Amino acid sequence: MKLKITKKEQEKKIKSRSKKADDKQKLILEILKTHGAKIYDDLDNGQFPKFSIPSRSVGNIVYDKQLRQYILGNNAALRSSRNSAQLRSFTQLMWLAFFANRLTTERKSSTLRDVYYSSQAFAVEFEDQSESDNIIVDLEAVTSRAREDFHIFPEERSSIFGDLNIEYTIPGYEGKTMNLANHPDGYSIGPSLTTAELVSTSAEIVIAIEKGGLFTRFVEEQVDKKFKSIILNTGGQAPRSTRTLLKRLHDEMKLPVICLTDGDVYGEHIAMVIKSGSANAAHLRELTVPDAKWVGVWATDIEKYKLPTIPMTESDIKRCYDLQKDPRYQDGIWKKELDVFLKLKRKAELEAFSKYGLTNITDKYLPQKLELAKSL
Amino acid sequence: MSSIKEKFNQISPSEFFYSNRDLAGFSNPTRSLYTAVREFVENALDACDQKGILPDVHLIIKAVDPDKPDPKPYILTVKDNGPGIDAEHIPLAFGTVLYGSKFGLKQARGMFGLGATMAILYGQITTNKPVTVKSSADGKIQNQFEILLDIQKNKPVIVKHTTKEVARKGLSVSICLEGDYSKAGNKIRDYVYETSLITPYASITFDDPKGQKFSHPRFVKDIPPPPTIIRPHPHGIDVERIRRMIVESQFEIPTIDDAMIEKVRKDLGLSVKKLSFISIMEKAKKKWKTLPRQVRVVIALMSFLKMDFEKLNKIKIEDIDMPNRKLFYWDFGDSQSKSVDMDAESEYYKQLTNTVQGEPLTTFLTKRFQRVGPTTAVKFAAFAKLKPEKRMGTLTNQELVNLSDALQKFEDFMAPDSSCLAPLGAEPLEKGIKKFFNPDFVAVVQRPASAYSGFPFIIEMGIAYGGDIKSGGPHVYRYANRIPLLYDEGSDVVLKVVNDTDWGRYKVKGEPPFIIVSHICSTRIPYKTAGKENVADRQEIERELRLALQFLSRKLSSFMSKRGQAEMAKKRANLYAKYIPMIAEFCTELSGKKKEPNYKKMLQIEIESENKKAIKEENEIENN
Repeated sequence: MKLKITKKEQEKKIKSRSKKADDKQKLILEILKTHGAKIYDDLDNGQFPKFSIPSRSVGNIVYDKQLRQYILGNNAALRSSRNSAQLRSFTQLMWLAFFANRLTTERKSSTLRDVYYSSQAFAVEFEDQSESDNIIVDLEAVTSRAREDFHIFPEERSSIFGDLNIEYTIPGYEGKTMNLANHPDGYSIGPSLTTAELVSTSAEIVIAIEKGGLFTRFVEEQVDKKFKSIILNTGGQAPRSTRTLLKRLHDEMKLPVICLTDGDVYGEHIAMVIKSGSANAAHLRELTVPDAKWVGVWATDIEKYKLPTIPMTESDIKRCYDLQKDPRYQDGIWKKELDVFLKLKRKAELEAFSKYGLTNITDKYLPQKLELAKSL
Repeated sequence: MSSIKEKFNQISPSEFFYSNRDLAGFSNPTRSLYTAVREFVENALDACDQKGILPDVHLIIKAVDPDKPDPKPYILTVKDNGPGIDAEHIPLAFGTVLYGSKFGLKQARGMFGLGATMAILYGQITTNKPVTVKSSADGKIQNQFEILLDIQKNKPVIVKHTTKEVARKGLSVSICLEGDYSKAGNKIRDYVYETSLITPYASITFDDPKGQKFSHPRFVKDIPPPPTIIRPHPHGIDVERIRRMIVESQFEIPTIDDAMIEKVRKDLGLSVKKLSFISIMEKAKKKWKTLPRQVRVVIALMSFLKMDFEKLNKIKIEDIDMPNRKLFYWDFGDSQSKSVDMDAESEYYKQLTNTVQGEPLTTFLTKRFQRVGPTTAVKFAAFAKLKPEKRMGTLTNQELVNLSDALQKFEDFMAPDSSCLAPLGAEPLEKGIKKFFNPDFVAVVQRPASAYSGFPFIIEMGIAYGGDIKSGGPHVYRYANRIPLLYDEGSDVVLKVVNDTDWGRYKVKGEPPFIIVSHICSTRIPYKTAGKENVADRQEIERELRLALQFLSRKLSSFMSKRGQAEMAKKRANLYAKYIPMIAEFCTELSGKKKEPNYKKMLQIEIESENKKAIKEENEIENN
């Protein structure tokens, strides 16, 4: 790793980095402007404005084997402001684009909940947050950009820890750098981290863990140093910003990503979503890490490590059967482990390793799995 | 020698109803007060209907001691301006069970006037007070009676009888009974209210025990044509009914005593005391057409006996053996039984046959049933495998059962005569609905007469939407023979038909403000219970109800869709006016323009066009 950088080089880098952020901002603003101009022209020509939006109905969600994720098919729907049934949502979407335009221009971030409340300042009513959330997905679908690109972030936060230098791009912090191993509780993955430049790292792998408790244990046991890794707590199903960050760590820093989850069908699927996304976000790309690997806890580990187990619930079992129909679970360890879960009808949590001592998971299990990951 | 005799006690009708009073709706103080109100109000309305008088009915309920908690004694009074009842009939009419004038076959609210007597009986049982009846049948003298019922003997006991001069006809009945107005009040007020809807030609007022007055003046000046009394339809009778009809058609052989002989002499106009057999027969022949049946029979017998009055006085007829044409009699003089042969060709023989064996089948059918002509009667006889000339009196039990069966099954009888029905009519019904509910939409229909089991019936129905009607509909107002049915609606056939309807199909959604008024008129309403509250689901009635409801629902649907279109057009205009300027505002900033797009003219045109559409649809609703 290069450690010493001259001041001049530093400045140059900063410039190029902020230019990169500027470019992205310009691109997003351009997309919004294009859509806005079309609506403007329609009205100016004395017509009811309209636009087309990719259909997000179940029938239009297809699995793309090449991309290894769900994508939307070719069906599109026309939204017209002449249609009184669509007029309200049409206006809501126009407002949202207008609001996103301001957020992006001013480089301000907001949450899904913020959006819901902000609408009220403009007399645009949303019945509840789920209605505004839905309009946000519409904006994503029309523009093919994730909401984070428009500075709209979810509430949920996951966290990250390890030797990673970043440089902020958000207003007031531009050029400021940070090493993510400085704070033992980890850094929360919010708008500033998601939009930050990834500068450098000594790590060679990213370990995504499902649970906060284990994340803390891993930091305490210095897994970052022992295994040259960045540790990331997904907090259950990984939020989109976290998945974006994982993708950037993989693509920009060239780091492999492994996932460590509870030994149950939900854990297996958390890993799968990191790898290939969810059907809910079929309208978006750039959220997946197709090379990500799930290393455990596998169903076969339960017997192999003689882990204490709990019985599956009805809904666990139903979930197994559902996933058996998913095209991504048709081969490899995904299919194999799912079948074993169904056979055992029992599950084990990550904490189950504590049976053998608190550090067993980091001392014994993790090294074995890291070794195994190389061959996966 | 001793014998053990079983003892059978015949109980009087009063006693029977006394022990089964809950059958007739007198099960508890709440229900009883309501039922008593119904019975007296319905009697008053029926009495006026029958005489074509526009009814003025006044109902008063007063607590004997207002401070007592319910249930407590109330005085219930119903006054009408009807024909009144002759003084001589009053004690029997109000003091015996099963005495009434309503035994004919025609549509009326009550059947036998039984309910009113039940109410009187109930009042007497619970308060030990007599019924007070004030009646004026001539508009000059009013007879006032206080009557108690002797339950065991089913006989009236007149406690007091006075008369006074009055200026108008009418009847007033007042009883004292145990009731619970705090619980029954709602139902009674509903009953009065709903009655006035189906009786728009009546003025009904109600003074309730709390001092409130409810007044429902008449808003229609014409009484619907009164029903006529008709003979039964062959489909509507059973073995027992036929048996009774045969008995009615037969005559007993009269006892020939002094009184009888005197009557024959008088009818023949014989002044001469001693007259020979021949001259009696000659006289009889001349006067035959004017002679009553009994006299004819005596003459016929004399013709075979060849006796004059003096000889006739000394014998007793023992038997008339029609098939063997022999007449047996006991001769008091010789103290022995004798017989004479009868000539089958003789006219007198026929007369005796009719008397002893009843009418021939075809005559019986054409004379005693509606819708049976001579041709149909002969056809039916073939169908029933009976000879057309078969005498009704000679039918065996089995033959009677077969005949009754065949009457039910024979399909060539014409549908029952509906002239005995008195529907309200589509126009007054619509008027009533409009007055009561002030609706945005109303449609009424009167179905053609139909029949179930030989009983004719007519369905009248109305449907109304919007206006003063409460949401949460359909609210169903059920009527049978102009009586509102308020209890036990769950199991009623009308409710069944309404509930089976998928209102979404008729564009009626959510908690709509709409009502259905259903009126079944029939000579016999097939009530499920004696309480007369819910109508059983006879297939034929259900079918007619469905047809009526479908017809009205289609009209409602077309109203709803026009109204829907008008509302939609209005809504669109409002939505455009609200949202398009917002879109213009947002896209101006979004596209980086300074000036708003030039859209106002387009918006104005669109809004006007939508408003015009709305007005056009609304006008169409008005015009329909």
